[in-house]
Amino acid sequence: MSKLIDLRMGLFLAALFIVTVLVPIASTLDQGSALSIPSYLIPLMGKYLCYAILAVALDLCWGYAGILSLGHGAFFALGGYAIGMHLMREIGARGVYANPDLPDFMVFLGWNELPWFWYGFDWFPFAAVMALLVPGALAFVFGWFAFRSRVSGVYLSIITQALTFALLLAFFRNEMGFGGNNGLTDFRDVLGFSLSAPSTRIALFVLTAIALAACLLIAKAITVSKAGKVLVAVRDAESRTRFMGYRVENYSVFVFTVSAMMAGLAGALYVPQVGIINPGEFAPANSIEIVVWVALGGRGTLVGAAIGALVVVAVESWLTANFPDLWLFALGALFIIVVLWMPNGLLGLVEKLRLRRKPAPDPNTETPA
Amino acid sequence: MLLRPFLRLVALCLAMLTPLAASAQTLEELVTQLPAGSYDDRAAVVAEIAATGDPRALAVLEALLEGELEQRNSDGRIVIVGGTRRAPTGTDALTGEDLGELGRRATERIRVNNSLRRTIRTAMGVMTLRDPDPARRLAAAEAALRSPAVEQLDALDAAMQAEELDYIREAQTLAHAATILASDADTDTKLDAVAVISGASALTVQSTLNAYRAAEDPALAAAVADAIEAAERRQALWGQAQNLWFGLSLGSVLLLAAIGLAITFGVMGVINLAHGELVMLGAYTTFLVQETIRTHAPEYFGWSLAIAVPLAFLFVGAVGVAIERGIVRHLYGRPLETLLATWGVSLILQQAVRSVFGPTNREVGTPDWMSGAFQLGEMTVTWPRVAIVIFSLTVFFGLLLTMRYSAMGLQMRAVTQNRAMAANLGIRTGRVDALTFGLGAGIAGLAGVALSQIDNVSPNLGQSYIIDSFLVVVFGGVGNLWGTLAAAMSLGVANKFLEPWAGAVLGKILILIFIILFIQKRPRGLFPQRGRAAEG
Amino acid sequence: MSAQLFLDGVHRSFDGFKAINNLTLSVDKGELRAVIGPNGAGKTTMMDIITGKTRPDGGEVLWNMSTDLTRMDEASVANLGIGRKFQKPTVFETHTVEDNIRLALKAPRGVFATLFHRTGKAEEARVTALLDQIRLTHLRAEDAANLSHGQKQWLEIGMLLAQEPDLLLVDEPAAGMTDAETMETAELLKSIAGQRTVIVVEHDMDFVRALDCRVTVLHQGSVLAEGSLDHVSARDDVIEVYLGR
Repeated sequence: MSKLIDLRMGLFLAALFIVTVLVPIASTLDQGSALSIPSYLIPLMGKYLCYAILAVALDLCWGYAGILSLGHGAFFALGGYAIGMHLMREIGARGVYANPDLPDFMVFLGWNELPWFWYGFDWFPFAAVMALLVPGALAFVFGWFAFRSRVSGVYLSIITQALTFALLLAFFRNEMGFGGNNGLTDFRDVLGFSLSAPSTRIALFVLTAIALAACLLIAKAITVSKAGKVLVAVRDAESRTRFMGYRVENYSVFVFTVSAMMAGLAGALYVPQVGIINPGEFAPANSIEIVVWVALGGRGTLVGAAIGALVVVAVESWLTANFPDLWLFALGALFIIVVLWMPNGLLGLVEKLRLRRKPAPDPNTETPA
Repeated sequence: MLLRPFLRLVALCLAMLTPLAASAQTLEELVTQLPAGSYDDRAAVVAEIAATGDPRALAVLEALLEGELEQRNSDGRIVIVGGTRRAPTGTDALTGEDLGELGRRATERIRVNNSLRRTIRTAMGVMTLRDPDPARRLAAAEAALRSPAVEQLDALDAAMQAEELDYIREAQTLAHAATILASDADTDTKLDAVAVISGASALTVQSTLNAYRAAEDPALAAAVADAIEAAERRQALWGQAQNLWFGLSLGSVLLLAAIGLAITFGVMGVINLAHGELVMLGAYTTFLVQETIRTHAPEYFGWSLAIAVPLAFLFVGAVGVAIERGIVRHLYGRPLETLLATWGVSLILQQAVRSVFGPTNREVGTPDWMSGAFQLGEMTVTWPRVAIVIFSLTVFFGLLLTMRYSAMGLQMRAVTQNRAMAANLGIRTGRVDALTFGLGAGIAGLAGVALSQIDNVSPNLGQSYIIDSFLVVVFGGVGNLWGTLAAAMSLGVANKFLEPWAGAVLGKILILIFIILFIQKRPRGLFPQRGRAAEG
Repeated sequence: MSAQLFLDGVHRSFDGFKAINNLTLSVDKGELRAVIGPNGAGKTTMMDIITGKTRPDGGEVLWNMSTDLTRMDEASVANLGIGRKFQKPTVFETHTVEDNIRLALKAPRGVFATLFHRTGKAEEARVTALLDQIRLTHLRAEDAANLSHGQKQWLEIGMLLAQEPDLLLVDEPAAGMTDAETMETAELLKSIAGQRTVIVVEHDMDFVRALDCRVTVLHQGSVLAEGSLDHVSARDDVIEVYLGR
C-alpha cells in the first residue's frame, strides 16, 4: 500500500479531503461570514476538479505509456454527451414545446420520434454506463487499429487530433441528433434533484472530488504494477519490449482505453455542473490544452497533472475575466516555457529545490559520462 | 470605327430584300399612319415599320410599347413624351429634336392593346435582330430562342444570312430552329431543327425541347427525347468534369497549405503546429500591402498581389527563422515537445494578430485582371481558381527544383540525411536548419497570399488549414514532395466528388475517417520512403 | 541432433539491394555458433528476419523443424523461446536495474497477468541470483540510465538470461567491454551453450577465437564459408572478402 500512496499522493489526497469537507461547510455559512462560499462558486470548483480528472487520464497514457493523445477532449465530450442525453430526457414535458417524448430541439427540427440511439438514456444507470463505455469503446477500436499498425509518436498525435476534429464536425450537424450547434442544455434536475439547488451542487462537487481521488488511485495502481512497468518500458524502448515477448499493442490499447474511460467520467461529472454540453468541447484546441496542464504539473506524476490542471484553469478564469487579451499570450508562453525550461513540470521544480536544500546526493548516483 | 456605318448599310439593304419590306414606304410615312385606324391596322403598320430595318424605328416602337408615343394636336407630329405628367416634355420620334415643354393637353396618346403589344414586341425582336450593335443582336437572338414567335421566322432567316459574326449566327440559327419547332412546318424540317438544337448547350437543349416531348408526331417526340437524353448525359459528364476541376482547385489550396509543411515536417521532421498561423501572416501581409497601395498609389492596385508575393515570402520566412533559432532548435529529436512549443507559438501569433488587426475579417481585394470567368463546354471556370491552381503548381515545381538542383537544396538534403557527416564536410548545419525552416515558413506565407483571395482573412485563418495540411503530408508519405502533390490532389478531388451526395460536412468527415483508417493501415503514407533506414 | 533453427533459401531486398540472398543456415540444438562477416554482409538483417522484425521476400525459417517463424511477429517469436541482444545495448533507462531484470523474467506476458502480478519469494531469489551472475548487485536500485556502457551490456545479457530462452541471438556482445570482460563474456556464453542454443554475431576475432566454436562467414547475404575458425580463415575467398575491401 505504501507504493500506492507515496508522499505526494498522500499530501494531495489530504488536501483534497480537507477542501471537500470544508467547501460544503463554508457554503452553508451565513452570507455575511468572511469564510462563506457563495453557492454559484461550487459548480465552478467542481468543474476544475473535472479538468483535474481529465489531466490525470491524459497523464496515464502520455506520461507513462508515451501515447500523446491530442484527442482526449473527444472522450471527455462523449462522456458528457451521454449524461447530457439523460438530463435532456429527464426534462420530460417541461420543455418549451412540452413534448413528453422528444427533447425540444427534436421537436424544433420537426422529428416525430426518438432516434434509436436515444433509447435507454432515460434510465440513469444506462446513461452512466454509456458515459464510460462509449469513450472506452471508441478508444479501444481506434487504439486497436492504430497500435496494431504500430502508429506511434507524432503520427498517433495527428490522427487523434483528426479524430476529434471529425467528431467536432459530425456533432455540429443537426442530422446527428445531438442538438447540433447548440448541443444539449436547459437541464432541470438529475435523479429528481434540482440542478440549481445548493445541496445538489454540493453533492456533485463531493462526488467529483471522490472520483478524482479514485482515478488518481486507480492510475497509480496501474503504474506501480508490473503492467505499469511494461508501459514505461514501451515508452523508453518499444522494440526491446517486443523482443522480450510483450505484446506492446495490447498494453497500449489497455492504457488508452482506461484513460479514455476516465476522460469520459470527467465529462459525465462536468455536464450536470456546467449545465451544457456542445460540440465546442470537441475542438482540437481543447485537447491540446489538456497537454499543457499535464506538462506544467509534471508529466508522469499523476498528482502533478491534477495540480497543473487546477493551476492553469484557475489562472485562465482569472485572466479571461480581467485581461481577456492576455490569456492566449499567457497560454502560448506557458507551452514554450514548460517545454524549454521545465521538462519535469512544477513537481520537478519542487523536487529540484528539495534536493538543493539537502546535502549533496550520493556520489554513486552521478551519471557516468 | 468604319464597321458600324457599314453594318447599318448592310442591314438596311437586307431589310429591303425581305418580303415584308415590299411596300417600300419610308419610316416617316409609316409613323404618321400609326394614330389612325383600328388596332389591327396599327399592327400592320408596326410590322411595316419593323420591316424598314431603319435603326430609328426601334425607339419609336419602344415608346409605343411603353405608351409614351403621342401625336401633337397642333401639327400632327409624332412625339415621344417624357418629363412629369404635369409638365410633359417631348422629343421628335424620328429626328430626336427636343421640343421642350408640351403643355398638358397638347398631345394625344397612341393607344395599344395586348395583342398589339405582342406584335410590337415581335417587331422589336425582328428589329434588334439586325441592330448594328453586336451585343444587342446577340441579346435579340437569345430572346427569340427563349420565346420563339413564328412571325419572326423570316426575319431570323434574313438575319442569319446577313450575320457576319459566327457566335451571333450560331445563336440566330438556334433561335431559328426553335421557331421552326413552334411553327407548323413539316416533320422533316422539324427533325432537322431538333438536330440543330441538340448541338447547343445542355441547358438550352432542355429548356427549348422540353415542350415538345409530348409532340403528337411520334418521330418528332422520339427525336426530342433522344436529344434531351443526350444532353443530360453530356451534362452529367461535364458535371463530373466540373467536380474534377473544383477538386483540383481545392487540391491546389491543400497543396499550397501543406507544401511548406512538407519541408518543415517532411524533410526536417519538425512538427510545426504554428504552420497555419504562418499562412495567416502571409494573408495579413497581403492585406497590409493592399492597404498601403490603396492609400498611397491606388493606380497600382493591380500589382498588389505581385508585390505581396515576395514580401510575404521574406517576412514570413524571417518569422520562421526566428522561431527556429529561438525555439525549435533546442528541441531537435523531441517531436512531441516541438509540437507543444509550436502550438504555443501559434497561440501567441494568433492573439498578436487579433490584438493588432482586431478579431473580424479584413477585406482583401482581387485585382481586376484576376476576376471574372470563362465558359468551357458546359462549365464555368473562374479566373481566381485558375490563378490558384497555376500558382500552387508553380510553387510546387519551384520548390522541387530548388531542393534538387540548388546548392542550398543539396545542403538541406545532406543535413537531413546525415547530420554528423554533413557537419564534417563543413556544412554549417545550424544555418541550414534555420534556412530550411525559413523556406518552409516562407512558402506558408505564399500560401497565405493565395488563400487571402478565397478565404476570410481573420486571426483564425490558420486554424482551419493546420489539420488538413498535416493529413495531406502524412497521407502522401513524409519526406516525399511528389507524395504531397498526389495526396493534396486526390483528397481535393475525393472531397468534391463526395460533396454532391454526402454534403460538404459529411464529405469532409468521411475523408477524415478514410485518412485515419489509411494511416493505420499504411502508417508511412501513399509513397513511403523505402530502404533499410525506414525500417528502423 | 536435430536442427533447432533452419533458414532455407531466405532472401530479402531493400530497394533492389539484396541484403539477404538465398541464405541457408542450420543451427543444432545446444550449439554455439559464431556468425562473422564484413559490414553489409547481412548479419543484422538475418537476426531481424529470425526474430520477426523483418519479413523475408521468400524462403522459410523453421523452428524445431516445424514452426515457420516468417509469419510471426516479434512478441510471438520471443514467446517461443528466442531471445535477442542488440548490437547497441538497449535497456529500460528509467527503470532500476532490478526492474529491468524483473521485466525480463520468464512469466506470463499478458496485460492482465502483469496488472495483477505479485512478486513472490522465488522471483526475488531468481533476480538476486541473476544480479550476482552479471555482477550488478551493488547497483540493483540504480536507474539503468546511470550505468556505464559495459554495465549496460552486462545488464542486457542478464535480461536475456532471465528470459530463459532456448535460443539466444547475441549481436556484438563484446563491444565496449574491457579485454577481461570480453573473455568473461565468452566463458559465460560457452557455459550457456549445451543447455541452450547460442548464435553470436561478432567482429572481434579474438572473441570469436575464445568462443572456440563453429563459424559461419556471411558475405553479400549468403553463406560464404562454414567450419572452424582456422578452417575458414585459411580460405582465400574469405581472406579476400575481409582484406580486399
